[in-house]
Amino acid sequence: MSAVVENNDHHDDHHGPRKGIWRWMTTTNHKDIGTLYLWFSFLAFLVGGAFAMGIRAELFEPGLQLMDPIRYNQLVTMHGLIMIFGGVMPAFVGLANWLIPMQIGAPDMALPRMNNLSFWLLPTAFAILMSTAFMEGGMPGFGWTFYAPLSTNYPNVAFFVFAVHIMGISSIMGSINVIVTIMNMRAPGMTLMQMPLFTWSWLITAYLLIAVMPVLAGAVTMLLMDAYFGTSFFDAAGGGDPVLFQHIFWFFGHPEVYIMILPAFGITSHIISTFSRKPLFGHASMIYAMSSIAILSFVVWAHHMFTVGMPLAAELFFMWATMLIAIPTGVKVFNWCATIFKGSITYETPMLFAIAFVVLFTIGGFSGLMLAITPADFQYHDTYFVVAHFHYVLVPGSVFSIMAAVYFWLPKWTGNMYDEKLGKLHFWLSFIGVNVTFFPQHFVGLAGMPRRYADYALQFAEWNAISSVGAFLFGLSQLLFLYIVLKTIFVGKKATPRVWDGAEGLEWTVDSPAPYHTFETPPKING
Amino acid sequence: MAKGPFKNKILLGLLSAVTVMFFFSFLLVPLYNVFCEVTGLNGKIYGPSDFFKKQDEIKEREINIKFLSTVSGAAPIEFYPSVQNLLVITDTVSATTYIAENKTNKKITVSIVPSVSPGLAADNVKKIQCFCLDGDIVLEPYEKQEWPLRFFIDSDLRKNVNDVYLSYTLFEKDREEVMVMKHEH
Repeated sequence: MSAVVENNDHHDDHHGPRKGIWRWMTTTNHKDIGTLYLWFSFLAFLVGGAFAMGIRAELFEPGLQLMDPIRYNQLVTMHGLIMIFGGVMPAFVGLANWLIPMQIGAPDMALPRMNNLSFWLLPTAFAILMSTAFMEGGMPGFGWTFYAPLSTNYPNVAFFVFAVHIMGISSIMGSINVIVTIMNMRAPGMTLMQMPLFTWSWLITAYLLIAVMPVLAGAVTMLLMDAYFGTSFFDAAGGGDPVLFQHIFWFFGHPEVYIMILPAFGITSHIISTFSRKPLFGHASMIYAMSSIAILSFVVWAHHMFTVGMPLAAELFFMWATMLIAIPTGVKVFNWCATIFKGSITYETPMLFAIAFVVLFTIGGFSGLMLAITPADFQYHDTYFVVAHFHYVLVPGSVFSIMAAVYFWLPKWTGNMYDEKLGKLHFWLSFIGVNVTFFPQHFVGLAGMPRRYADYALQFAEWNAISSVGAFLFGLSQLLFLYIVLKTIFVGKKATPRVWDGAEGLEWTVDSPAPYHTFETPPKING
Repeated sequence: MAKGPFKNKILLGLLSAVTVMFFFSFLLVPLYNVFCEVTGLNGKIYGPSDFFKKQDEIKEREINIKFLSTVSGAAPIEFYPSVQNLLVITDTVSATTYIAENKTNKKITVSIVPSVSPGLAADNVKKIQCFCLDGDIVLEPYEKQEWPLRFFIDSDLRKNVNDVYLSYTLFEKDREEVMVMKHEH
C-alpha cells in the first residue's frame, strides 16, 4: 500500500529501469511485470506444446511405440497443468498487467510489490512441479483433474499439491491487484460502464478467481491430508466419498474454464471493433453477458459428472443451467457479428485471429451444448469428443485470442511493427493446423475412442494419424511466432502512437513504445 | 485515486472473501454428507433399520435383487455373494450371505462399504443385519468367513423400480506383518 503513496508524490524527472537481471527480479513496474508474465507463458506454451507433440507422436499409430502408458499419462497430465496454469492464465495476467493501467489511465497497478511477488511465485511453483520429473516415481500422471483416490495413491503428490498452492496464491494476489486497481485508480471521470471491455472482462475474471482459487486450494489440501495424514475425505474405506472430490473439484473447475475465456472475449471485442472501424455493437450488453456467464458458471459444475449416478432431478437441473449459458454467449457472438456488419474491414493479422476466434469458439460452444444434453452425454463422456470440444474453446478460443492480442498490442509494447506477411503466414498455418488436429477428434470420439489412453483400437487409426500431422504443423508454426516476435523487437519498422486506423482507447494516446511510466498525470475523460 | 480507508476496505473485503472461500471448500464436505443423507441421493446406507410395518400398509410386489461385490485395489481376498440374484417380496425379510476368504498367511483387517443402485432406492432398502454395518472385520490367515445379510424392501419403493442392486466394496485396512524369527548378526 505504501507503494501507491509513492506513486502519488512522484517526481517528473523519472528514473528509468535498473540495469541487468535485477531490473526483472525487483521490478514493480506493471509493464515489466506484464512482459515477464508474457514471456513466462510463452515458455510454458513451448514446454506444454512439446509434451503435446509427445502425446500425438505416440498416438500417430495404434500400439505402443515411444513410451509406456505410465509415461504417456504423465505427459497428458503435465500438458494440461502447464497449458492451463502456466500458459493461458499467466498470458492473460500478463496482458492485464500491460493493458489495464493504460486502458484506465492509471500510472501503475495499485499494489506493485505484490505484483512482483505474484509473478515470481509462478516460476517457483513450476520449478517444484517439474522437479518431480527427476525423482523416483516421476511426474504426476493422474490427469490435470487429479481425481481422488487415484491421485492420493500416487508418488510425489505432495510436490503437485504445493505447486498448486503456490500457483493459487499467485493468481489470487494477481486478481486482488486487478480489482483494487480498477476500483481505485481509474482516471477521474471514467465510470465503470465506460471502462474498455478488456478491463471489464478482467474485473469479472478476477472476482471468479477470488471465489474459486481458494476452493482449489482446499481440494488439494484435503488431497494432501488423505495422502499423508490418514484422513478419509475421499477414501470410501474410511467413510469418505470419491464423488465428493469431483463435486469440489468441478465447483472450482467450471468457473476456471470461464476464467480462461472471459479475457478472450474482451480482447476480441477490441480487435473486431478496431478493424471494422466501428464502435463495438452493444457495449453494455457485452458487460451484462459476461457477468451472467460468470454467475451461471457457479451452478453448472455437475455437467462434468453426469455419469456418476446423480438422480434425474439433478441431471435435468444441470442440463438446463448449462444450456442457459448459451444465451449470454450467443449475445456476445451476435454483437461481434453486428460490429463487423457494414464496417470498413481490413484483415490484418490480429483481425484474422479474432475472426477465427469467433467462428471456431462458436464451434466449440456448439459441441459444448451437445455435451450438455444429459442422455447424449452418456455416449460422449470421457471420449475424444470431449477432448475436441475443450480444445476448440481453449486453442482457437483462448490461445488464438492471446495471439491476436500480442499482434494487436505488440507495436505499442515494442514500438515496432511486426512483419505483416509473416504474421498472416503464422495465422494460416495455425488455423489449418488447429482444425486438422482437433476436428477429426470429434469423429473418433463419437465412434467411441476413450480419452487418456496411450493406445487405441485399429478403426481409429486414420483419423488419429491425420490429427497428429495437424498437431505437428500447429506446434512447429509456433516457432515462427517466436521468430516474428523477436524480429519485431529487434528489427521492426517504427510504429505510430495510434498504430491502427480504427484504434480507440487511452493506451493508443501514449507513444509507441509506451514510455516506462505512463499517465503520471491522469488523462481527461470526455463524457 | 482514492485515499487510504476506501482502498483498504476493498482489499480487506477481497482477502476475507479468499479466506471464506477456502474454508467453504472444507464446509462442502459435511454439507455434501448432510445433503445426501436428507435426500438419499447417493445410494448410501445410514445405519440399521427396524422391521415395523402395519399389516394394512403392506402392498406386495416382487423385486429382483442383484448382489455385487468388489475388492478395492489388489487386496488378496476373495469376496463374493453366495447367491447372485434373489427374487424378494416387498416388506418381507430375506436373508443371504456374502463369503470372504483371506488368501494369505497374514491377519487382515477389512471394512466393507455398501452402496445401492438406483440411488433413490437406497431409502427403501432396509437392512436389519449387515456385515457392512459392523465396522472393521478381522480375517485370520487363510480364514473363510460367511457373513449374514438380512433385509427387506419397503413397499414404498417407487413403482418404476423393479431391479435393485446391492453392492459391497471390500477395503483392506490393515495387514499384520509376519514376524520373521531369524537372528541377524
